[in-house]
Amino acid sequence: MLSRDERQRYDRQIMIRGIGEEGQEKLKQARVVIAGSGGLGSPAAIYLAAAGVGRIRLIDHDKVELSNLNRQVLHWDKDIGRSKVDSAKEKLGQLNHEVSLETVDETISEANVSQLVAGFDIILDAMDNLPTRYLLNKAAIDNRIPFVHGAVYGFEGRVMTIIPRQTACLRCVYRGLIPQEKFPVIGVTPAIIGCIQATEVIKYIVGTGHLLTNRLLVYDGLNMKFTELIVRKDEYCEHCGNPERGDGK
Amino acid sequence: MSIKLEIPSYLQPFANDTEVAEINGSTIGECLNELVKQFADMKKMLFTRSGKLHGYVGIYLNGEDAYPNELAKPVKDGDKLLIMYIVGGG
Repeated sequence: MLSRDERQRYDRQIMIRGIGEEGQEKLKQARVVIAGSGGLGSPAAIYLAAAGVGRIRLIDHDKVELSNLNRQVLHWDKDIGRSKVDSAKEKLGQLNHEVSLETVDETISEANVSQLVAGFDIILDAMDNLPTRYLLNKAAIDNRIPFVHGAVYGFEGRVMTIIPRQTACLRCVYRGLIPQEKFPVIGVTPAIIGCIQATEVIKYIVGTGHLLTNRLLVYDGLNMKFTELIVRKDEYCEHCGNPERGDGK
Repeated sequence: MSIKLEIPSYLQPFANDTEVAEINGSTIGECLNELVKQFADMKKMLFTRSGKLHGYVGIYLNGEDAYPNELAKPVKDGDKLLIMYIVGGG
């Protein structure tokens, strides 16, 4: 049941057909994991907290560095040297005190990933590396938790939503690894991609609109172009298919 | 067969900053070989030493993932190919 303050706070989005009070109540009851609180995690967390998602778990093991501040907008000059999840929790709590914020200052690993996401309704991928994304993708499939992938490079970004065992997963689309590298990025790119990811999370929770499933959205900021690519569930996928019969690629 | 091949920003430095290349070929493999003839540096970015596509390279034909057996897929005049390189930044 929404309080009078909540009705007032969320008035403009409750007005949206497809959300209403019922949708707002679903947002209030929702539990979202945001893996990473950097370039993608910052805008995603800000807009999910502002929208009234009831419980948000933020996972990040990094400390704030000066070189983060061109894009990781939850972290400010004064936060340099501080744990990112503490810095993020402070700002998000000031934005919306009604949201329950839980922080995990740990590295996501094969050993802890399932435990970190268990019991949550949806996972938002705000990582900065592929190996951890693959761990999250596998855990999402194993635990049947929807997973919203996002990634950036320079002025380019990508988003895709995965409904485990129903739609193409990240591993169906990305079949390899690239060497770990320091990637170039301008802050507006993860801002756009993180906000699209947050939109997918809100739509999933509320149950409105059409998710980016079996579609990879590619954003090209230099040419200001969005391209939608059709992807398919791979029956031999090593995460969501039957790799035993696969070609081993 | 005239095919438009879109090169992602990540790979453009290996193709003289070309965004879209006009190439000829009757299969995706022939088109990529033609691309490599034009831009030799692309070879190591696309192919393994044994001539297979790297696992982190995706090929999209008219907006659809061409996997599996991408290199053998036929193309026709006016088709559009897109090379997708995995990006992992956040």
